[in-house]
Amino acid sequence: MSSGNGVKTLFKPAEPAPISERHDLIDNMGEVETFSTQELDEQKIIYPGMANPNVLNVFRGLRTRLLKASKGANFSCLVTSVCSGGGTTHIAKNLAASFSLDKSKTSLLVDANLYNPSLNSLIIGASESGLTDYLSEQGPQVNIKDIVYATGVPRMRVIPIGGYSEAAAEYFSSQTMQLFSEEVRKRYSDRYILVDAPPILEASETQILIDIADLVLLVVPYGKVTNEEISEAVEKIDPSKFVGIVYNN
Amino acid sequence: MDLSSLLKYLYVAINEAWQHKYKCLFGFVFVAFVVLLIGTRWPAKFETSTTIFADNQNILRPLLDEQAAQSNLQDQTRVVKDMLHSPRMLSQVVDSVYGLSSFSGGNEIGLAVNRLRERLVVKGLGRNYIKISYFDDSAEQSYKILNTVLDLFLRESSEEKRSESREAFLFIDNQVRQYKDQLVDAENRLKEFNSTNLDGRNVDAEESIARVRQQIDELKLGIDEDKATVVALNRQLADESQYSARQTTSNVYFERLQELESRLQTLLLTYTEDYPDVVSLQYQISDIKAAIAENDRSENAQKDNEEVSFNPLYQELRSRLSRAKTDLSVKQKRVNALNELLDSEYERRRRIAARAAEEAELTRDYTVTRRIYEDMLESKERARLSMTLNIEGQGVSYRIQDPAIPPLNPLGLRFLHFVIAGPILGALAVIGVIIAFVLFDPRVRFMNHINVPNAAVVANIPHMRTKQERRSIKVGFVYYVMLVIVFMGIYTSLALAYKFGVLK
Repeated sequence: MSSGNGVKTLFKPAEPAPISERHDLIDNMGEVETFSTQELDEQKIIYPGMANPNVLNVFRGLRTRLLKASKGANFSCLVTSVCSGGGTTHIAKNLAASFSLDKSKTSLLVDANLYNPSLNSLIIGASESGLTDYLSEQGPQVNIKDIVYATGVPRMRVIPIGGYSEAAAEYFSSQTMQLFSEEVRKRYSDRYILVDAPPILEASETQILIDIADLVLLVVPYGKVTNEEISEAVEKIDPSKFVGIVYNN
Repeated sequence: MDLSSLLKYLYVAINEAWQHKYKCLFGFVFVAFVVLLIGTRWPAKFETSTTIFADNQNILRPLLDEQAAQSNLQDQTRVVKDMLHSPRMLSQVVDSVYGLSSFSGGNEIGLAVNRLRERLVVKGLGRNYIKISYFDDSAEQSYKILNTVLDLFLRESSEEKRSESREAFLFIDNQVRQYKDQLVDAENRLKEFNSTNLDGRNVDAEESIARVRQQIDELKLGIDEDKATVVALNRQLADESQYSARQTTSNVYFERLQELESRLQTLLLTYTEDYPDVVSLQYQISDIKAAIAENDRSENAQKDNEEVSFNPLYQELRSRLSRAKTDLSVKQKRVNALNELLDSEYERRRRIAARAAEEAELTRDYTVTRRIYEDMLESKERARLSMTLNIEGQGVSYRIQDPAIPPLNPLGLRFLHFVIAGPILGALAVIGVIIAFVLFDPRVRFMNHINVPNAAVVANIPHMRTKQERRSIKVGFVYYVMLVIVFMGIYTSLALAYKFGVLK
């Protein structure tokens, strides 16, 4: 898969987009090549007309649920799991995909899973820098635009983890992170942000990320956790932000 | 649990099994091989059995009826069992099969005997049929031991029976002799007693006393009677005069004359004197008067010849009185004699009573001894008959109904059973463990099992599989099945190798 020459990315740092053009861009976002259905299947990403409509409906339902919780406003939703290997990436990814099914909405998937970053496959072409590069005070200063990449799914963007994942906890608690969150959310009112966070019981960063997020979904994987662990995880989440449990088969 | 939740559990169980497929395979293989190993070490159990018939209904019984007391065995099975399980019998068997020299000590022989007893089973099969079975590690040994046991048993039982009846006969014979002596003794004593007894029996004495008494009573009555007769006769004699007056003919004529005269007077009242009848009467009267006169003359002539004549009644009375007096005196003498006799009889009766107790004792002694002796004599004859029967082999005897045959197949679990059971048990063990795991593992496997306060389940994300995944699962499954087939091949070939002696 190549990015090709005709790629027009919105956040290309070389060509800052004029503000007047922005709204048009939701429809005409300079899309890279979109994934074929086969590729979507392989990446387990939902799309209309997929073989198993049940999965599609479940994610649509979940999307509605989140919109209801945010009372229609755009939000940043953190997806965390009780334990590792819970499938947060899969759920965050598909939620993002479900938002972007709507032509009037865009979604931004932020990979905050320091320990198991896995969103690179969505990006067509190479990703040079990511979230940690942005937050890090070391190295070359990076703009937000530099870290937002287009994906093979229309209207869906992704921010990969980047190259400085070692001291991420410190980065997340920084002022910069707060600013980053507000920046990305408020910049487009029709943009929905989904954060793929590390497991809540295993990584302390998640707590910090929850503070920044508007909504939280807790993923309970099949056959990995007990009710006690789930309770423990729920207790760590601010009840005002907690939407509910997503049971992942 | 309804069907849908059951299916849900089943789905989860299969899912878990697939997730842990290699662990499952290992468990399956492990259990199967353990079972196979147990099978190779499982001792084979070869059982030989035989049925014997306890024949106590032989041909002689109806002929002899109750005369011969046959050994009537209440519970044949128990008798046979007791006999077979007796240490004497079993140690004989051990001796003849293994040889006593092959054991180092009495303890080992005891163990061998105990083992034999445990393995030797005696079971009654209804009327008179008894099954004896024995099992051992090898068919040959089992057959050999059972035959030895049976031979010894048959020999023992007939010998025992013979000696039993012989002993019984000898005992009874001895008793009979003793009783015979006693009887002779009692008889002699009774005889001696009777020979000294002259008084006769009590009954005789009683009888004679009664007879004498009766006689005395009769005589007493006779005496009273005689006394009364004497008194009466004496009175009569006093009344009667010794000489009696003469009765004359003139008296008769006077009476006739008076009669005729009274008739004449009667007639004269009616008729005249010339009436024929009156005339006739007057003639008659005159005739009578003439006759009286005539008579008077003749009587006067006789009075001159004899003055007095003796009274005959007096004479008669005197003779009767004399006879009565004689009788009285005789009877009184007899009464005296009888009284003496009565006294002697009383004396005899007293003597008899005194000896009666002694006699009764002797008689009883004799009677009892004789009865026992007679019974004994009868028993002795029966015992002699029984002994003869047993010696001839006609009493209770044991016949072999079903002879023992060497067993072909071992009893109970065989190697084949273990070979078959191995994979089945392996599979069952794995399934059991998976079911237990699904049921008891606290980790959440069903959405509705999530039970956390303040947290609702907002979505249930179905499992998604890519084509690649599906393909790899298929490949994995085929690979897995092949693995199982390979294992089963190894398993079968190992089992066959053991069966045909390649492996030990």
